[in-house]
Amino acid sequence: MGSSQITVLRTATRCVVRATGVRKGFGHGVWPMRRRVEVLKGADLHVCPSELVGLVGENGSGKSTLMEILVGLLARDGGEVERPARLGYCPQLPMLWEKLTVDEHFALFARAYGMDDAARDRAAAGLLEELQFARYRGYRVEQLSGGTRQKLNLALALMHEPELLLLDEPYAGFDWETYLRFWEMSERRRDAGMGILIVSHFLTERERLDRVYTLADGRTDQP
Amino acid sequence: MSAFAAVGGSFVREHLRTRLTLALLVAIPVFFVLIFASVLGEFAKALGGTMSGNGATSAISAGWAAAFLCGALAFFQVSSSRGADRRLAAAGLGAARVASARIAAAVALGIVVSAVAFVTLWARSGIAHPWHAAAAILAFALIYVGVGALVGALIAAPLEGSLLVVLVFAVDAFSGPSMTSSGGILAHGPTRDATNLLIAAGTGEPSPGGDWLAVGAAVLLALAVAFGAFWLAARSRS
Repeated sequence: MGSSQITVLRTATRCVVRATGVRKGFGHGVWPMRRRVEVLKGADLHVCPSELVGLVGENGSGKSTLMEILVGLLARDGGEVERPARLGYCPQLPMLWEKLTVDEHFALFARAYGMDDAARDRAAAGLLEELQFARYRGYRVEQLSGGTRQKLNLALALMHEPELLLLDEPYAGFDWETYLRFWEMSERRRDAGMGILIVSHFLTERERLDRVYTLADGRTDQP
Repeated sequence: MSAFAAVGGSFVREHLRTRLTLALLVAIPVFFVLIFASVLGEFAKALGGTMSGNGATSAISAGWAAAFLCGALAFFQVSSSRGADRRLAAAGLGAARVASARIAAAVALGIVVSAVAFVTLWARSGIAHPWHAAAAILAFALIYVGVGALVGALIAAPLEGSLLVVLVFAVDAFSGPSMTSSGGILAHGPTRDATNLLIAAGTGEPSPGGDWLAVGAAVLLALAVAFGAFWLAARSRS
Protein backbone atom coordinates (compact mmCIF):
# COMPACT_ATOMS: atom_id res chain seq x y z
CA MET A 1 0.00 0.00 0.00
CA GLY A 2 1.54 3.33 -1.05
CA SER A 3 1.77 6.42 1.07
CA SER A 4 1.13 9.92 -0.18
CA GLN A 5 1.49 11.49 3.26
CA ILE A 6 3.77 14.51 3.09
CA THR A 7 5.24 16.30 6.08
CA VAL A 8 4.94 20.05 5.56
CA LEU A 9 8.15 21.85 6.49
CA ARG A 10 8.04 24.97 8.62
CA THR A 11 9.83 28.00 7.25
CA ALA A 12 12.46 27.81 9.97
CA THR A 13 13.66 24.46 8.62
CA ARG A 14 16.88 24.79 6.66
CA CYS A 15 15.91 22.82 3.55
CA VAL A 16 12.82 23.39 1.43
CA VAL A 17 12.57 19.72 0.47
CA ARG A 18 14.06 16.61 2.00
CA ALA A 19 13.46 13.08 0.72
CA THR A 20 14.89 10.13 2.61
CA GLY A 21 14.96 6.50 1.50
CA VAL A 22 12.16 6.90 -1.05
CA ARG A 23 11.08 3.58 -2.58
CA LYS A 24 8.66 2.99 -5.43
CA GLY A 25 7.79 0.01 -7.60
CA PHE A 26 5.24 -0.63 -10.33
CA GLY A 27 3.40 -3.85 -11.17
CA HIS A 28 3.01 -4.93 -14.79
CA GLY A 29 0.89 -7.63 -16.38
CA VAL A 30 -1.89 -9.85 -15.06
CA TRP A 31 -1.58 -12.60 -12.45
CA PRO A 32 0.07 -15.15 -12.61
CA MET A 33 2.37 -13.40 -15.11
CA ARG A 34 2.45 -10.22 -13.03
CA ARG A 35 5.92 -8.71 -12.56
CA ARG A 36 7.03 -5.91 -10.29
CA VAL A 37 9.72 -3.42 -11.26
CA GLU A 38 11.39 -1.49 -8.44
CA VAL A 39 12.15 1.97 -9.84
CA LEU A 40 13.30 3.73 -6.69
CA LYS A 41 15.17 1.70 -4.05
CA GLY A 42 15.99 4.33 -1.47
CA ALA A 43 16.48 7.72 -3.11
CA ASP A 44 17.65 10.61 -0.93
CA LEU A 45 17.90 14.28 -1.76
CA HIS A 46 17.49 17.71 -0.27
CA VAL A 47 17.27 21.24 -1.63
CA CYS A 48 17.86 24.36 0.45
CA PRO A 49 16.61 27.90 -0.17
CA SER A 50 18.67 29.76 -2.80
CA GLU A 51 19.85 26.52 -4.39
CA LEU A 52 19.50 25.39 -8.00
CA VAL A 53 19.91 21.62 -7.87
CA GLY A 54 19.94 19.20 -10.80
CA LEU A 55 18.62 15.66 -10.96
CA VAL A 56 20.14 13.65 -13.80
CA GLY A 57 19.94 10.04 -14.89
CA GLU A 58 19.37 7.82 -17.89
CA ASN A 59 15.97 7.49 -19.55
CA GLY A 60 13.75 5.35 -17.33
CA SER A 61 15.93 5.83 -14.25
CA GLY A 62 13.00 7.19 -12.22
CA LYS A 63 13.59 10.96 -12.29
CA SER A 64 9.98 11.83 -13.16
CA THR A 65 8.71 9.23 -10.68
CA LEU A 66 10.74 10.86 -7.91
CA MET A 67 9.46 14.29 -8.95
CA GLU A 68 5.83 13.12 -8.86
CA ILE A 69 6.38 11.64 -5.39
CA LEU A 70 7.85 14.93 -4.15
CA VAL A 71 4.86 16.85 -5.56
CA GLY A 72 2.32 14.41 -4.14
CA LEU A 73 0.94 13.19 -7.47
CA LEU A 74 2.24 9.68 -6.83
CA ALA A 75 2.18 7.68 -3.60
CA ARG A 76 5.48 6.15 -2.48
CA ASP A 77 6.02 2.64 -1.14
CA GLY A 78 8.45 3.74 1.56
CA GLY A 79 10.68 6.52 2.82
CA GLU A 80 9.94 10.04 4.01
CA VAL A 81 9.24 13.30 2.20
CA GLU A 82 9.23 16.73 3.83
CA ARG A 83 8.38 19.75 1.74
CA PRO A 84 6.67 23.14 2.00
CA ALA A 85 2.95 23.61 1.37
CA ARG A 86 3.68 26.25 -1.29
CA LEU A 87 5.46 24.58 -4.18
CA GLY A 88 5.35 24.86 -7.93
CA TYR A 89 5.55 21.89 -10.28
CA CYS A 90 6.18 21.90 -14.00
CA PRO A 91 5.62 18.38 -15.40
CA GLN A 92 7.63 17.00 -18.32
CA LEU A 93 4.52 16.73 -20.53
CA PRO A 94 2.18 19.71 -20.17
CA MET A 95 -0.83 18.80 -18.00
CA LEU A 96 -3.37 21.26 -19.43
CA TRP A 97 -6.99 21.35 -20.64
CA GLU A 98 -7.06 21.44 -24.43
CA LYS A 99 -10.28 23.48 -24.73
CA LEU A 100 -9.47 26.16 -22.14
CA THR A 101 -7.59 29.37 -22.87
CA VAL A 102 -4.30 30.55 -21.40
CA ASP A 103 -6.15 33.08 -19.20
CA GLU A 104 -8.58 30.42 -18.00
CA HIS A 105 -5.62 28.26 -16.93
CA PHE A 106 -4.22 31.14 -14.89
CA ALA A 107 -7.65 31.64 -13.30
CA LEU A 108 -8.02 27.97 -12.35
CA PHE A 109 -4.55 27.66 -10.84
CA ALA A 110 -4.94 30.98 -9.00
CA ARG A 111 -7.98 29.41 -7.28
CA ALA A 112 -5.93 26.36 -6.37
CA TYR A 113 -3.11 28.51 -4.96
CA GLY A 114 -5.55 30.69 -3.02
CA MET A 115 -4.64 33.91 -4.89
CA ASP A 116 -7.10 36.79 -5.15
CA ASP A 117 -7.99 38.36 -8.51
CA ALA A 118 -5.49 41.23 -8.20
CA ALA A 119 -2.60 38.88 -7.33
CA ARG A 120 -3.61 36.58 -10.18
CA ASP A 121 -3.70 39.40 -12.75
CA ARG A 122 -0.36 40.76 -11.55
CA ALA A 123 1.33 37.33 -11.65
CA ALA A 124 -0.15 36.38 -15.03
CA ALA A 125 0.81 39.70 -16.63
CA GLY A 126 4.37 39.42 -15.32
CA LEU A 127 4.87 35.85 -16.55
CA LEU A 128 3.24 36.48 -19.93
CA GLU A 129 5.68 39.34 -20.38
CA GLU A 130 8.70 37.48 -19.02
CA LEU A 131 8.10 34.41 -21.21
CA GLN A 132 6.85 36.54 -24.12
CA PHE A 133 3.56 34.87 -24.93
CA ALA A 134 1.11 37.62 -23.93
CA ARG A 135 -0.47 37.68 -27.41
CA TYR A 136 -1.72 34.12 -26.88
CA ARG A 137 -3.59 34.75 -23.63
CA GLY A 138 -7.01 34.40 -25.32
CA TYR A 139 -6.01 31.27 -27.26
CA ARG A 140 -7.11 27.77 -26.34
CA VAL A 141 -4.35 25.29 -25.53
CA GLU A 142 -5.26 23.21 -28.60
CA GLN A 143 -4.36 26.25 -30.75
CA LEU A 144 -0.89 26.72 -29.21
CA SER A 145 2.44 25.43 -30.53
CA GLY A 146 4.39 22.92 -28.43
CA GLY A 147 6.79 25.61 -27.21
CA THR A 148 3.99 27.97 -26.15
CA ARG A 149 2.22 25.15 -24.31
CA GLN A 150 5.45 24.55 -22.45
CA LYS A 151 5.66 28.24 -21.56
CA LEU A 152 2.17 28.05 -20.07
CA ASN A 153 3.10 24.82 -18.30
CA LEU A 154 6.07 26.59 -16.69
CA ALA A 155 4.18 29.82 -15.94
CA LEU A 156 1.51 27.90 -13.98
CA ALA A 157 4.24 26.51 -11.73
CA LEU A 158 5.68 29.97 -11.08
CA MET A 159 2.62 32.21 -10.71
CA HIS A 160 2.38 31.98 -6.89
CA GLU A 161 6.15 32.48 -6.33
CA PRO A 162 6.59 29.16 -4.50
CA GLU A 163 9.26 28.40 -1.90
CA LEU A 164 10.15 25.25 -3.82
CA LEU A 165 10.08 24.84 -7.60
CA LEU A 166 10.16 21.35 -9.12
CA LEU A 167 10.90 21.35 -12.86
CA ASP A 168 10.84 18.18 -14.93
CA GLU A 169 12.71 18.99 -18.18
CA PRO A 170 10.75 22.23 -18.46
CA TYR A 171 12.40 23.55 -21.63
CA ALA A 172 11.36 20.83 -24.11
CA GLY A 173 10.17 22.68 -27.22
CA PHE A 174 11.76 26.02 -26.27
CA ASP A 175 13.71 27.91 -28.91
CA TRP A 176 17.26 28.98 -28.04
CA GLU A 177 16.28 32.47 -26.86
CA THR A 178 13.53 31.15 -24.62
CA TYR A 179 15.89 28.47 -23.32
CA LEU A 180 18.41 31.12 -22.27
CA ARG A 181 15.64 33.26 -20.78
CA PHE A 182 14.46 30.24 -18.81
CA TRP A 183 17.86 29.90 -17.15
CA GLU A 184 17.98 33.63 -16.39
CA MET A 185 14.54 33.38 -14.78
CA SER A 186 15.59 30.37 -12.73
CA GLU A 187 18.82 31.97 -11.56
CA ARG A 188 17.02 35.20 -10.63
CA ARG A 189 14.51 33.29 -8.54
CA ARG A 190 17.26 31.18 -6.98
CA ASP A 191 19.05 34.39 -5.98
CA ALA A 192 15.80 35.70 -4.47
CA GLY A 193 15.65 32.67 -2.14
CA MET A 194 13.67 30.04 -4.04
CA GLY A 195 14.83 26.42 -3.86
CA ILE A 196 14.76 24.82 -7.32
CA LEU A 197 15.11 21.16 -8.31
CA ILE A 198 15.35 20.55 -12.02
CA VAL A 199 15.48 17.34 -14.01
CA SER A 200 18.11 17.77 -16.68
CA HIS A 201 20.15 15.51 -18.91
CA PHE A 202 22.43 17.91 -20.70
CA LEU A 203 26.04 17.90 -19.51
CA THR A 204 26.40 21.51 -20.62
CA GLU A 205 23.83 22.59 -18.06
CA ARG A 206 25.78 21.27 -15.09
CA GLU A 207 27.81 24.45 -14.77
CA ARG A 208 24.57 26.37 -14.18
CA LEU A 209 23.62 24.14 -11.24
CA ASP A 210 24.79 24.48 -7.64
CA ARG A 211 24.67 20.71 -7.05
CA VAL A 212 23.72 17.67 -9.10
CA TYR A 213 22.17 14.37 -8.01
CA THR A 214 22.59 11.38 -10.30
CA LEU A 215 19.81 8.80 -10.15
CA ALA A 216 21.03 5.31 -11.05
CA ASP A 217 19.76 1.86 -10.07
CA GLY A 218 17.01 3.46 -7.99
CA ARG A 219 19.34 5.45 -5.78
CA THR A 220 20.67 9.01 -5.82
CA ASP A 221 24.35 9.71 -5.79
CA GLN A 222 25.88 13.16 -5.35
CA PRO A 223 29.43 13.32 -6.75
CA MET B 1 -17.70 33.97 -7.77
CA SER B 2 -16.88 30.96 -5.58
CA ALA B 3 -14.03 28.62 -6.50
CA PHE B 4 -16.58 25.83 -6.95
CA ALA B 5 -18.64 27.79 -9.48
CA ALA B 6 -15.56 29.08 -11.30
CA VAL B 7 -13.95 25.67 -11.65
CA GLY B 8 -17.24 23.92 -12.50
CA GLY B 9 -18.01 26.60 -15.10
CA SER B 10 -14.63 26.05 -16.74
CA PHE B 11 -15.29 22.31 -16.93
CA VAL B 12 -18.66 22.91 -18.64
CA ARG B 13 -17.09 25.32 -21.16
CA GLU B 14 -14.44 22.71 -21.90
CA HIS B 15 -17.12 20.45 -23.41
CA LEU B 16 -19.40 23.01 -24.99
CA ARG B 17 -16.48 24.43 -27.00
CA THR B 18 -16.27 21.28 -29.10
CA ARG B 19 -18.40 21.92 -32.18
CA LEU B 20 -18.93 18.22 -32.82
CA THR B 21 -20.21 17.72 -29.27
CA LEU B 22 -22.69 20.54 -29.76
CA ALA B 23 -23.87 19.02 -33.04
CA LEU B 24 -24.25 15.59 -31.43
CA LEU B 25 -26.24 17.06 -28.54
CA VAL B 26 -28.94 17.79 -31.09
CA ALA B 27 -28.34 15.03 -33.65
CA ILE B 28 -28.43 12.05 -31.28
CA PRO B 29 -31.81 12.83 -29.63
CA VAL B 30 -33.26 13.59 -33.06
CA PHE B 31 -31.92 10.30 -34.44
CA PHE B 32 -33.14 8.26 -31.46
CA VAL B 33 -36.59 9.84 -31.19
CA LEU B 34 -37.43 10.40 -34.86
CA ILE B 35 -35.80 7.43 -36.54
CA PHE B 36 -34.82 4.76 -34.05
CA ALA B 37 -38.14 4.90 -32.17
CA SER B 38 -40.06 3.97 -35.30
CA VAL B 39 -38.40 0.55 -35.47
CA LEU B 40 -38.09 -0.03 -31.73
CA GLY B 41 -41.39 -1.90 -31.52
CA GLU B 42 -40.11 -4.37 -34.13
CA PHE B 43 -36.88 -4.82 -32.14
CA ALA B 44 -38.84 -5.53 -28.97
CA LYS B 45 -41.06 -8.00 -30.79
CA ALA B 46 -38.02 -9.83 -32.17
CA LEU B 47 -36.49 -10.04 -28.67
CA GLY B 48 -39.74 -11.35 -27.17
CA GLY B 49 -40.63 -8.07 -25.47
CA THR B 50 -43.99 -6.36 -25.20
CA MET B 51 -43.14 -2.73 -26.00
CA SER B 52 -45.36 -1.26 -28.69
CA GLY B 53 -47.09 1.97 -29.53
CA ASN B 54 -45.67 5.28 -30.60
CA GLY B 55 -45.90 6.91 -27.15
CA ALA B 56 -43.82 4.25 -25.40
CA THR B 57 -41.13 3.84 -28.06
CA SER B 58 -40.63 7.57 -28.57
CA ALA B 59 -40.41 8.19 -24.82
CA ILE B 60 -37.91 5.43 -24.19
CA SER B 61 -35.80 6.58 -27.16
CA ALA B 62 -35.51 10.05 -25.61
CA GLY B 63 -34.28 8.49 -22.36
CA TRP B 64 -31.72 6.40 -24.18
CA ALA B 65 -30.45 9.41 -26.11
CA ALA B 66 -29.87 11.28 -22.85
CA ALA B 67 -28.21 8.23 -21.27
CA PHE B 68 -25.92 7.60 -24.24
CA LEU B 69 -24.76 11.21 -24.49
CA CYS B 70 -24.23 11.66 -20.74
CA GLY B 71 -22.36 8.37 -20.40
CA ALA B 72 -19.99 9.38 -23.20
CA LEU B 73 -19.53 12.95 -21.87
CA ALA B 74 -18.83 11.75 -18.32
CA PHE B 75 -16.35 9.15 -19.61
CA PHE B 76 -14.44 11.77 -21.57
CA GLN B 77 -14.56 14.23 -18.65
CA VAL B 78 -12.46 11.73 -16.72
CA SER B 79 -10.45 10.29 -19.58
CA SER B 80 -9.31 13.48 -21.31
CA SER B 81 -8.62 15.63 -18.26
CA ARG B 82 -7.09 13.18 -15.79
CA GLY B 83 -3.56 14.66 -15.81
CA ALA B 84 -4.64 18.31 -15.60
CA ASP B 85 -7.21 17.54 -12.88
CA ARG B 86 -4.58 15.75 -10.79
CA ARG B 87 -2.20 18.67 -11.21
CA LEU B 88 -4.91 21.13 -10.15
CA ALA B 89 -5.79 18.99 -7.12
CA ALA B 90 -2.11 18.71 -6.09
CA ALA B 91 -1.66 22.48 -6.57
CA GLY B 92 -3.97 23.03 -3.63
CA LEU B 93 -7.56 22.61 -4.77
CA GLY B 94 -7.75 19.04 -3.49
CA ALA B 95 -9.24 15.96 -5.14
CA ALA B 96 -12.62 16.36 -3.39
CA ARG B 97 -13.15 19.90 -4.70
CA VAL B 98 -12.06 18.93 -8.21
CA ALA B 99 -14.48 15.98 -8.07
CA SER B 100 -17.30 18.26 -6.83
CA ALA B 101 -16.70 20.67 -9.71
CA ARG B 102 -16.69 17.77 -12.17
CA ILE B 103 -20.00 16.47 -10.75
CA ALA B 104 -21.51 19.95 -11.04
CA ALA B 105 -20.36 20.16 -14.68
CA ALA B 106 -21.68 16.66 -15.45
CA VAL B 107 -25.07 17.45 -13.91
CA ALA B 108 -25.26 20.75 -15.82
CA LEU B 109 -24.48 18.94 -19.08
CA GLY B 110 -27.02 16.24 -18.12
CA ILE B 111 -29.72 18.90 -17.73
CA VAL B 112 -28.88 20.37 -21.15
CA VAL B 113 -28.88 16.95 -22.81
CA SER B 114 -32.13 15.97 -21.11
CA ALA B 115 -33.79 19.22 -22.16
CA VAL B 116 -32.83 18.63 -25.80
CA ALA B 117 -34.11 15.04 -25.65
CA PHE B 118 -37.34 16.17 -23.96
CA VAL B 119 -38.02 18.93 -26.49
CA THR B 120 -37.40 16.51 -29.36
CA LEU B 121 -39.83 14.04 -27.82
CA TRP B 122 -42.40 16.78 -27.23
CA ALA B 123 -42.13 17.99 -30.82
CA ARG B 124 -42.34 14.44 -32.22
CA SER B 125 -45.37 13.02 -30.49
CA GLY B 126 -46.52 15.03 -27.52
CA ILE B 127 -46.35 13.46 -24.07
CA ALA B 128 -49.20 12.29 -21.86
CA HIS B 129 -47.35 13.12 -18.60
CA PRO B 130 -44.71 15.70 -19.56
CA TRP B 131 -43.32 16.33 -16.05
CA HIS B 132 -42.99 12.62 -15.40
CA ALA B 133 -41.23 12.20 -18.73
CA ALA B 134 -38.84 15.12 -18.06
CA ALA B 135 -37.89 13.70 -14.66
CA ALA B 136 -37.39 10.19 -16.05
CA ILE B 137 -35.22 11.45 -18.95
CA LEU B 138 -33.07 13.41 -16.47
CA ALA B 139 -32.79 10.24 -14.36
CA PHE B 140 -31.50 8.34 -17.40
CA ALA B 141 -28.91 11.08 -17.95
CA LEU B 142 -27.70 11.20 -14.34
CA ILE B 143 -27.53 7.42 -14.00
CA TYR B 144 -25.22 7.33 -17.02
CA VAL B 145 -23.06 10.10 -15.56
CA GLY B 146 -22.22 7.46 -12.94
CA VAL B 147 -21.63 4.74 -15.54
CA GLY B 148 -19.42 6.93 -17.76
CA ALA B 149 -17.37 8.36 -14.89
CA LEU B 150 -16.82 4.91 -13.37
CA VAL B 151 -15.58 3.46 -16.65
CA GLY B 152 -13.34 6.53 -17.12
CA ALA B 153 -11.78 6.10 -13.69
CA LEU B 154 -11.07 2.39 -14.25
CA ILE B 155 -9.97 2.45 -17.91
CA ALA B 156 -7.58 5.15 -19.07
CA ALA B 157 -7.52 4.25 -22.79
CA PRO B 158 -10.12 6.29 -24.74
CA LEU B 159 -10.99 3.60 -27.28
CA GLU B 160 -11.40 0.72 -24.83
CA GLY B 161 -13.24 2.89 -22.33
CA SER B 162 -15.70 4.36 -24.80
CA LEU B 163 -16.41 0.88 -26.21
CA LEU B 164 -17.15 -0.36 -22.69
CA VAL B 165 -19.59 2.52 -22.11
CA VAL B 166 -21.36 1.57 -25.35
CA LEU B 167 -21.45 -2.11 -24.31
CA VAL B 168 -22.99 -1.30 -20.90
CA PHE B 169 -25.51 0.96 -22.63
CA ALA B 170 -26.45 -1.68 -25.22
CA VAL B 171 -26.89 -4.45 -22.66
CA ASP B 172 -28.88 -2.15 -20.36
CA ALA B 173 -31.10 -0.82 -23.14
CA PHE B 174 -31.90 -4.07 -24.91
CA SER B 175 -32.45 -6.17 -21.80
CA GLY B 176 -34.72 -3.63 -20.07
CA PRO B 177 -38.42 -3.92 -19.24
CA SER B 178 -40.68 -4.54 -22.24
CA MET B 179 -37.69 -5.02 -24.56
CA THR B 180 -37.05 -8.72 -23.98
CA SER B 181 -38.71 -11.79 -22.55
CA SER B 182 -35.55 -12.96 -20.77
CA GLY B 183 -35.23 -12.42 -17.03
CA GLY B 184 -32.20 -12.98 -14.81
CA ILE B 185 -29.55 -10.46 -13.95
CA LEU B 186 -29.70 -8.72 -17.34
CA ALA B 187 -33.24 -7.59 -16.56
CA HIS B 188 -31.92 -5.51 -13.62
CA GLY B 189 -29.88 -2.89 -15.45
CA PRO B 190 -29.28 0.55 -13.93
CA THR B 191 -32.16 2.21 -15.83
CA ARG B 192 -34.79 -0.49 -15.24
CA ASP B 193 -37.04 1.66 -13.02
CA ALA B 194 -36.48 4.82 -15.05
CA THR B 195 -37.62 2.84 -18.10
CA ASN B 196 -40.85 1.88 -16.35
CA LEU B 197 -41.49 5.54 -15.48
CA LEU B 198 -40.76 6.75 -18.98
CA ILE B 199 -42.96 4.15 -20.68
CA ALA B 200 -45.79 5.04 -18.29
CA ALA B 201 -45.29 8.76 -18.97
CA GLY B 202 -45.34 8.15 -22.73
CA THR B 203 -48.48 6.02 -22.69
CA GLY B 204 -50.39 8.10 -20.15
CA GLU B 205 -50.43 5.47 -17.40
CA PRO B 206 -49.87 6.32 -13.73
CA SER B 207 -46.54 5.50 -12.09
CA PRO B 208 -46.43 3.79 -8.70
CA GLY B 209 -44.60 5.58 -5.88
CA GLY B 210 -42.24 2.63 -5.57
CA ASP B 211 -40.87 3.29 -9.04
CA TRP B 212 -40.17 6.93 -8.17
CA LEU B 213 -38.37 5.92 -4.98
CA ALA B 214 -36.32 3.32 -6.85
CA VAL B 215 -35.36 5.84 -9.52
CA GLY B 216 -34.38 8.41 -6.87
CA ALA B 217 -32.19 5.81 -5.16
CA ALA B 218 -30.58 4.81 -8.47
CA VAL B 219 -29.80 8.47 -9.28
CA LEU B 220 -28.28 9.11 -5.84
CA LEU B 221 -26.21 5.95 -6.08
CA ALA B 222 -25.03 6.90 -9.59
CA LEU B 223 -24.00 10.40 -8.44
CA ALA B 224 -22.15 8.91 -5.45
CA VAL B 225 -20.34 6.52 -7.81
CA ALA B 226 -19.54 9.42 -10.15
CA PHE B 227 -18.13 11.48 -7.28
CA GLY B 228 -15.95 8.55 -6.23
CA ALA B 229 -14.78 8.06 -9.81
CA PHE B 230 -13.92 11.75 -10.31
CA TRP B 231 -12.15 11.76 -6.93
CA LEU B 232 -10.17 8.63 -7.82
CA ALA B 233 -9.06 10.22 -11.09
CA ALA B 234 -7.94 13.47 -9.39
CA ARG B 235 -6.16 12.09 -6.33
CA SER B 236 -2.52 10.98 -6.14
CA ARG B 237 -1.86 7.65 -7.85
CA SER B 238 -0.62 4.62 -5.93
